[in-house]
Amino acid sequence: MDFETWLADNYEFVVEAPGVDAWRIFDTFDWLLFNRAMMLRRTGSEFALVALNGGTIRNCEIRGGDPVFARDFPEGVLRSDLARIINERALFPLAEVYVEETSYRILDDEQKTVARLIRTQVRGEGDEFGGADSASFLGVRTLRGYEKHARRLAKELAAWGEGLNSMDEAILLSALRMAGQTPNSYSSRLDVRLKPEMRADAAARAIMQRLLETIRANEEGIKADTDIEFLHDYRIAVRRTRSALSLIKGVFSPEMTDHFKQEFRTLGKFTNDLRDLDVYLLAEEGYRAQLPGAMKNDIAPLFDYLRAHRVVALDAVTETLESEAYARTLDEWAAFLNESTAVDSAVNASQPIISLARKRIRKQYQRIVQDGSFILSHTEDELLHALRIECKKLRYLLEFFESLFPPRKMGQLIKQLKRLQDNLGEFSDLTVQQNYLLAVAEALDIDEVLARRALVSTGFLVETMARRQQEVKSEFAGTFTKFASPAHQRQFHRLFGSGKGRRKI
Amino acid sequence: MTTLALYSNKGGVGKTTAAVNLAYLAAQSGYTTLLCDLDPQAAATFYFRVKPKLKADARGLVGVRKELERSIKASDYTGLDILPADFSHRNLDITFDRSKRSRQRLGSALKRLRREYDLIVLDCPPTINILAENIFNASDHLLVPVIPTTLSVRTFEQLLSFLAENKHDLKQVSAFFSMVDRRKNLHKQVMSEMYEQFSNVMQNPIPTLSQIELMGVYREPVSAFSPRSAAARAYKALWSELKEKKMFS
Repeated sequence: MDFETWLADNYEFVVEAPGVDAWRIFDTFDWLLFNRAMMLRRTGSEFALVALNGGTIRNCEIRGGDPVFARDFPEGVLRSDLARIINERALFPLAEVYVEETSYRILDDEQKTVARLIRTQVRGEGDEFGGADSASFLGVRTLRGYEKHARRLAKELAAWGEGLNSMDEAILLSALRMAGQTPNSYSSRLDVRLKPEMRADAAARAIMQRLLETIRANEEGIKADTDIEFLHDYRIAVRRTRSALSLIKGVFSPEMTDHFKQEFRTLGKFTNDLRDLDVYLLAEEGYRAQLPGAMKNDIAPLFDYLRAHRVVALDAVTETLESEAYARTLDEWAAFLNESTAVDSAVNASQPIISLARKRIRKQYQRIVQDGSFILSHTEDELLHALRIECKKLRYLLEFFESLFPPRKMGQLIKQLKRLQDNLGEFSDLTVQQNYLLAVAEALDIDEVLARRALVSTGFLVETMARRQQEVKSEFAGTFTKFASPAHQRQFHRLFGSGKGRRKI
Repeated sequence: MTTLALYSNKGGVGKTTAAVNLAYLAAQSGYTTLLCDLDPQAAATFYFRVKPKLKADARGLVGVRKELERSIKASDYTGLDILPADFSHRNLDITFDRSKRSRQRLGSALKRLRREYDLIVLDCPPTINILAENIFNASDHLLVPVIPTTLSVRTFEQLLSFLAENKHDLKQVSAFFSMVDRRKNLHKQVMSEMYEQFSNVMQNPIPTLSQIELMGVYREPVSAFSPRSAAARAYKALWSELKEKKMFS
């Protein structure tokens, strides 16, 4: 017996004529929507942002080409919800499928629809419904205020032997399969699973291997200028690699360590200009908002100047990425990471990674507590900048070795550290931004009226920043005291202590 | 989100049929819409085949807002939900006292639905009491059906002065002609006078048509069961005019 016969025996219903839609499904390079259990799809001119757990659906209409960024969508709830999730990331069409939906409206004695039983068929381009690669599911669509009816229908169908699917999710997963897409094929997260007893050099290689994958995965997106996050992820991976080389001490021979540290220092530098420009251009609206009404548009020449420079900076970065020297460096690095780890080439190489991790984190934490305590009585800007760097190192260490320790505790520690980092980071950003804006303003042609007005508005911005910077500085003491509190110190000691007695760290 | 109230202090002027069809057309053009049947006669609820709820929730255990969310029912059409009449019957009229807060009660209850709906259409009972004040406070736009007769025009004038006296902050009050019979000279005359006197009268009238009465038989919006009929076209024209006036965000 097919389900239609079963349905006719048990319910009064009306079948609606089936409709076929072509679905185009989008996500970002790093699967931001998928990981939030969301799906963005286009059918004709209609876009829908769907919560896969059966929650809300946001719609909007766009004629013409596919939008790339959240800001390309018409103003409305879909755009604001989408922007919250994907921020500055670009959208890609992931898969294109045809979806045929037949709706069986289940009626009550007033002929009112109380539930919809939906038969969905999915096929890829060039396949047919019922074809080898196509998929078909049954699902119940709950109507608001008629939840009981839907539950009953689902229960009875299940009892009869028909499994039900969550429609949107089932369609998404089959579409991805048909398009040959693997969810989370890219993630910027450093998710390396280490084992405590692993040799330290093998663990270091695993971390660096993962970072190398991230570096390579982002190259294309940087060159194509798809969105600014490719460069951002790339730079973080480069910086992490360099830090890993100096922070995970004594696992490789000193010569090789120094050699690659030098290489990654260079790799970290050639993208500096482009990233700076990205950051300032991104902040354009924010800067404008800080200016008083009469000056709001005066800052424009400064940003026009930055935009023009960005074109040049992108060319330079692309040129390096495509150069032979660059390819050689990374190939050499990849070969090094693939080398056998059997030889004890360095002092810590054969140590279990857990003890090295404990020691490094403990020392770095101690150092921050000492340096910070000194700053409390000597608040000099340079010292704050230096402390920021040390905090960043600790952050990297915690991230490298996250998988070796209890996840909840690590989460808490990282959160506490992040608060201190945010304070120091803002302080340092404000210094850098003031200097940068002043330098750019100097480069403008002072004979032009517009440039002179831009100069005045830059002065205003710099002053606002300087004032904010004083506030941030005064917040340091409170933030740091919390970070170095006895309770927090005990927490660090418990997790990362050497186990030799109750030595205070 | 925009709240549009179909309101008249006279009964039988084509208010509910307009509310039902405009809400339906809004949903069809992609606005997630909630039609609130605030009229105890429950005509809008009837048109959408929603059964009255027999068993009331134990009052006092759930708040008005919670119960509002629980009472909403999906219609047979995508993007259109109904708040059945029994909700307002049980929760609004009787609980109002004369305090300031009670004049805002409907508005604050609806506020919760802001993120869920693009448009809320209120089908209101023909009263000027505290419920009416709640409606005025909760609405962005008041849309008033006017039968083109001298008496109806007077009623509209009275409404405008009442709103002005009570300082209701309505962004827009508009009238549209309802149950128009073009064969009647009186109707034509009153209409042209009203266009001269008021700027806020919609250009697209709703004529008296038998298809509109058939809604009671079909229990569907005329725009759904007979989308090419003169009646459906008239509602469509009115809806387009509302949209052109950028009433909906």
